[in-house]
Amino acid sequence: MEGWDPNTKSTLTQIPLLTVKAGPRDGAWAQRLKEEYKALIAYTQMNKSNDNDWFRISAANPEGTRWTGKCWYVHNLLKYEFDLQFDIPVTYPATAPEIELPQLDRKTQKMYRGGKICLTVHFKPLWAKNCPRFGIAHALCLGLAPWLAAEVPILVDSGMVKHKDDAASSAEA
Amino acid sequence: MMDDELLELQRQFEFAQQAKSSIRLSERNLIEFVQKLHELRFIDFDLLHTVSGKEYITPEQLRYEIVSEVEKLGRVSLIDLADTTGVDLYHVEKQTEHAVADNPGYMLIQGEIISERHWDSVAEEINERLQECSQIALAELATQLHIGVELLTSVLEARLGTVVKGRLEGGQLYTPAYVARVSAMVRGAARGITVPTNLSALWSSLKHLLQEIDGASGVAVEGSFFQGLFNIQLKECQILGSLRAGIYWTPSVFSNAQKECIDSLFSQNSFINYETLNKLGISQPVQFLQSRYPDVLALVNAFVHPSLTEMVNAAVEDAIEHGSCDAFVKDLYDRLEKELEIFNASGSSSMSLSDDVSSASDTKMTHDSSASLELNQTPSESTGKRIVEKGSKKKKGIEDPLTALKPLANYLRPLLLNSMKEKWKAILMENANKMKQILDDMQRKVDEAFLNLQLYEKALELFDEDQSASVVLHWHLLGALAPSIADSLFINLEIYNKLKSGLQVDNSQNSELFYLSPGERIGLVKTFPGSLSKKAIAVAESLEGKRLETFMVALRDLAEDRLAIIKFCTFYSSPYDLISQVSAETDPISLLAKVVSLLYGQFHNKALQAPGRAISVAVTRLKDKLDESAYKVLTDYREATVTLLALVAASSGDVSTLGFLPEMPQLKGLALTTSQSWS
Repeated sequence: MEGWDPNTKSTLTQIPLLTVKAGPRDGAWAQRLKEEYKALIAYTQMNKSNDNDWFRISAANPEGTRWTGKCWYVHNLLKYEFDLQFDIPVTYPATAPEIELPQLDRKTQKMYRGGKICLTVHFKPLWAKNCPRFGIAHALCLGLAPWLAAEVPILVDSGMVKHKDDAASSAEA
Repeated sequence: MMDDELLELQRQFEFAQQAKSSIRLSERNLIEFVQKLHELRFIDFDLLHTVSGKEYITPEQLRYEIVSEVEKLGRVSLIDLADTTGVDLYHVEKQTEHAVADNPGYMLIQGEIISERHWDSVAEEINERLQECSQIALAELATQLHIGVELLTSVLEARLGTVVKGRLEGGQLYTPAYVARVSAMVRGAARGITVPTNLSALWSSLKHLLQEIDGASGVAVEGSFFQGLFNIQLKECQILGSLRAGIYWTPSVFSNAQKECIDSLFSQNSFINYETLNKLGISQPVQFLQSRYPDVLALVNAFVHPSLTEMVNAAVEDAIEHGSCDAFVKDLYDRLEKELEIFNASGSSSMSLSDDVSSASDTKMTHDSSASLELNQTPSESTGKRIVEKGSKKKKGIEDPLTALKPLANYLRPLLLNSMKEKWKAILMENANKMKQILDDMQRKVDEAFLNLQLYEKALELFDEDQSASVVLHWHLLGALAPSIADSLFINLEIYNKLKSGLQVDNSQNSELFYLSPGERIGLVKTFPGSLSKKAIAVAESLEGKRLETFMVALRDLAEDRLAIIKFCTFYSSPYDLISQVSAETDPISLLAKVVSLLYGQFHNKALQAPGRAISVAVTRLKDKLDESAYKVLTDYREATVTLLALVAASSGDVSTLGFLPEMPQLKGLALTTSQSWS
């Protein structure tokens, strides 16, 4: 796990690992989902105790294959909040979920069409190596959190993103 | 598919997300906060921080941590402590000093804290190792433990006998068993000695013995170790004797034997010689005996018991009665006169004349009896004593000691003379053999040399008309060959004469020819007896002259003298010698000389021996005898040698490195072919 921020690494090691290898179309998906929830609960509790709570998510459908929520990042003492959403792909957990921040679509080069965040080269090999032990919590921790930490300051400083208190809205195409 | 569990989990998740975050201060906030507290004196003690900047630590806590570390490990270096506590070295050192000051069991040595308990465990380990190896060198231990030898010594000394069961001696540690073994060796060696010895020699031989026994595994033991063990045993009276200056040991066996021997000798003979005492190993005979026998008389060469005085008096009276010791008495009277003078001069009037007589006669008696002992003439001693006993009838205090002792002297004198004559004969016999040998040697050597000289003398006749060459040739022979003959002749004559007269001569000089300086030579020949001396002087003087004939004549003259024992044989030719020499010769210069000599011999029937300077003249003379090519070879060769000599003299002056001239084989060939016709 080279090239990762030490805090990320230390946090990651504390999130419980998942055992069930089941995609959304598999029979054991319910079991997998339970494990996902357990991991998420643990991760959230950790964040709370570290005073590092940075997201809110919930399942958008009863199957637990679509999730929505919010995430935020504090930059220069200002909190910048964004909507987030993602689907659980069919080939999950071999394939990581693609997290989307629709509000930032086309505001940054580190984003695919539709707002899917573009992750570092380190992410995919690590996810593949640890399949099926990594879950949604891990994806957030390894994927979204570093992305926000890297991109939000640039977006804010370049003026692409303005704080909600400012009257100006985010520039849309 | 939702089931209760899932629902429950969902709810929990929501709950967790909604829960309030605990509020945390950042590290920076905290540091500022603590510093603020410190400034405001809410925290009034020193606060140290770790190197990583993540922790605060109080000094007491640091000290506590240091102490616990030392307790755990026994021996910690300050640098390690700095690493484990994470605090800067300066603070660690400060706290260490406090800790060491507070705790007597700790010591700070070369940047390490070491506790006493650690030393105890180290000592135990050392003890185990010691019991295995039976001896260990401290230096080895010190390097293993990374401490100084002095520290190790102090640590071990404190624990010798308790934890470490051994003995520390001279930088080595020994087990008691080993010490006992070596003690036994020392004891055995010391008890085995029966004469006074220097102990250091004994220890070195013991050392070698130990090394042989132990082989490679043993460590070398020092002499001081043996000496220490020896001293202990001496104190405990396991070994008996006396030690002087700590090194010179005299076993009591020896001193007892010595005393007994002296006592027995003295009681048997009533007198004892100082020489005997010296032989027995007593260096101060006078003090020694006087301390033991206070009433003994100390004479010049011996001690005499007073009882002997009476015996001697009686003997003297008896001798006087028989009238058989005139010469003895005369001698005695001389001595008496001398002694009287001495005594009168010193003014000791307590000695009466009779005492003088007795003491003087004592001396003479003991001398004679000891002299007779040396000559192994035991009959004389017993007869002497018989005479002494017979004389006991007379009373003391004879007024004319001369006539009394004369018969005794007359009797003893012939005996002494006889023994002397026999000794003389033995020496002469020995000398006779040596003389014969010298004679043979001398004859042989002088024959050879004289032969050569005659040979060369004949050749000189060829050069009579050439003055310069002739002079050079004569001078060469007189200077080179003649003196060696003369000198060896003289020296051997001298030795012969000495041997004949019975003197001892050492054997070292008899094998070689000798060389004397002219002064030495003249001095030597003057010591020869009578006419021999005159003729020898003539020979010596002729050596300084110019003509060889003078020398030859003088030498022949000497030979005819009846006291000279060398005959000079006449000339006969032996050319073959020279031919073989020529073929074998490798030195270019001497080759030339020999070839010339050979050629001369061949053409003139006279061998020529010539020095370098005369060679050119000699070669020129050969011109009409050799054919042209041969002559050219000869002259070319001569020139080559001259050049070579000049080169050598210019470069190093060392003639022995002349090397090989290319023309040498040619010259050899020339000489050998022309010598075919040698008669």
